[in-house]
Amino acid sequence: MAGLDSSDRGDMTNARDAAPALQVSEVRYAYGKTKAVDGVSFDVRRGEIFGLLGPNGAGKTTTIALIGGLLSPASGSVLLFGRDVASGGSARARLGVVPQDVALYEELTGRENVRFFGRLYGLSGKPLDRATDEALGQVGLSDRARDRAGALSGGLKRRLNLAAALVHSPDLLLLDEPTVGIDPQARLRILDVVKAQASAGRAVLYTSHYLEEAEQICDRLAIVDHGRVLAVGTVAELRRLAGEGPVVQVRGEIEPPQAQELQQRVPGVHLLGSADGVHSFAAADAAACAALVRELFQGAARVEDLRVQEPTLQSLFLKLTGRELRD
Amino acid sequence: MGTILTLAAKDLRRRAAAPGPVLLNLAIPLAIAGMLALAFGGGTGGGADPPPLKLVLVMLDEGPLSEFLSGASQNSQTAGRLEVLRAKDRQEGLARLREEEAAAMALFPEGFTRDLIEGRQAVFELVKNPSQSFMPLVAEQGAEVLSLYLTVGRRLLGDDAARLQGMLEGEGWSDTAGLALALASLYGRIQSADGMLFPPLIETGEPAGDPGEARGGFDFMSWMYPGMLMMGLLFLGAGQMRDLLMERQAGTLRRQLCAPVAAWQVVASKVLSAALVVGAAHVLLMGAGSAFFGVRWGSALPLALVSALIVAAVTGFCALLFALVRTERQGDAVSGIVIMVMSLMGGTFIPPQALPEAMRGMAYVTMNHWGHDALRELASGKGWAAVAAHAAALAAMAAAFILAGTLLLRRRHVRGAL
Repeated sequence: MAGLDSSDRGDMTNARDAAPALQVSEVRYAYGKTKAVDGVSFDVRRGEIFGLLGPNGAGKTTTIALIGGLLSPASGSVLLFGRDVASGGSARARLGVVPQDVALYEELTGRENVRFFGRLYGLSGKPLDRATDEALGQVGLSDRARDRAGALSGGLKRRLNLAAALVHSPDLLLLDEPTVGIDPQARLRILDVVKAQASAGRAVLYTSHYLEEAEQICDRLAIVDHGRVLAVGTVAELRRLAGEGPVVQVRGEIEPPQAQELQQRVPGVHLLGSADGVHSFAAADAAACAALVRELFQGAARVEDLRVQEPTLQSLFLKLTGRELRD
Repeated sequence: MGTILTLAAKDLRRRAAAPGPVLLNLAIPLAIAGMLALAFGGGTGGGADPPPLKLVLVMLDEGPLSEFLSGASQNSQTAGRLEVLRAKDRQEGLARLREEEAAAMALFPEGFTRDLIEGRQAVFELVKNPSQSFMPLVAEQGAEVLSLYLTVGRRLLGDDAARLQGMLEGEGWSDTAGLALALASLYGRIQSADGMLFPPLIETGEPAGDPGEARGGFDFMSWMYPGMLMMGLLFLGAGQMRDLLMERQAGTLRRQLCAPVAAWQVVASKVLSAALVVGAAHVLLMGAGSAFFGVRWGSALPLALVSALIVAAVTGFCALLFALVRTERQGDAVSGIVIMVMSLMGGTFIPPQALPEAMRGMAYVTMNHWGHDALRELASGKGWAAVAAHAAALAAMAAAFILAGTLLLRRRHVRGAL
């Protein structure tokens, strides 16, 4: 796993409470013979938005399920505010979970849904009324609170899904891809709410496979694939990990041995990986990039498409896994 | 307990917000019972009066006996049972049968009375309407009874028959001495048969006592409706327990379990809410049975105990059923088949005694049998003693099913909710 020196982290991060809200240590879990989570470790601090970034099937949802106590790790530990999540419900009472799929009762109104989940966390009477109003207000659903959940649009359901997790003012918010399949306006609204939660001092664990979204809101990120954490750090730190030079992606009639040969022939060029006819090279600098391009067009290979990118999280993922995040 | 009540209240609120499936499950047993009541007659106190027998009478005989028979159909006692339509000849009678005006045609040929009195074989013709099923059989039975009575009557008259015929056809009514002699002779014959005929060994009549209490007659709906009720409750219970698998599918189950809620609390709440819905349905169906079909449910306390045990057993059985299936679709298919088979074997539609001998014992392993049989016993006016075995069987089934169902549901569907 790639890591960075903590001294590199920004001033704002340092100012926050250092005691972690969530500590995940060497957690492993398998579905039969398939390793879904394979030695994952990270922590989330109060007031921080921590992102788990990875493609579908990377193990993000299973990690959330382990943190939520739905699954018990085969090994390792999950500590919520210093308490093992397996110890019982009291640790989970400080947790708010927004599942990947909208999990609401369609027959009930938005307000009834939020109130129900508030009750599960021990709220009742006027505090429950007040918390319900606040949660609905935070996601901008006060005027649709009496509508049945089943009658709401996809974007509004996503917002209601979030409100149901906010009603008991959790100290740690787990959001599992909360913006999948919704329009940009609804996405912005949800991201604003998430940022507001972190600003209020709550810890947020945010999973996504949208790079831009993760870059936009996360203070720190873990890049995960095949159940493993590949790199952890701030966005700036991770970009630096991707390297200073550009990434060159080439599509064409180039056999893998030819790509290997290019790597050896052009100094400062490193073959990151090949998948679906696309070969990705990391260039040490602009000169190496230019030499690679020249070699490609002068050689026998037929190039159909060529892209040169500045180092991004995408190129980091490519560098770490040999494939693009959307894979 | 608060969490369980919160979870159960949520389910009840959902049922109230979308009552369609519950109402449908309530309507099905009522609709079936209604159709059966229409087909076989309603269910109050020994059954409703059958419709009158419509008979086309073709009377070609002009003897006094024929007149007697024609007149007998007009008296007040038979008017409600028999509706006689006259036809002048066989053709007209058959035409009226073809027009569906009657269930049968009785044709008394010319000389019928004379043949009878003179001791020759007298023949009358009965033609049943082939397009009808039940009433022509009644007409046939009636014709057989008439034949028997005429035969016995003729033999009782003996040698006086010819004398009586002469008197009836001619001016013999004014011969009071002759008439008295004939009647005295007839009386003597009847007296000699008296020892054989009276007192009858078997008598029929109305039962004594309050007609509202413990009716003696067979009340079809009081027998049939409890079976329908049990079957309806089972279908309704299955629908309620199916909800757990639906919640698993929808992700709301996972969400609940991320809260400080234990798996056993989720299962307990689901069983509780299912039991409450089944219990309410039981009360509603009993009320509907009384209102629409005149079913009387008997003593309140035994009924309350039996009802509570039925609700518990039905809920537990449905919990076990849905614990054993993998998906809600599988559950729907399996529960439909299992409930129908249990209903058939348990005697919902036909008494177990009517089943092949090898299958009769199977009734005792079905909850349907113990449930509807207990309700039938109570509806027939019996009390605690008659339903003690039923209550014990239902209690044992309820305990076993609820225990196994909740444990399996927790292990298979709640803890494995991912």
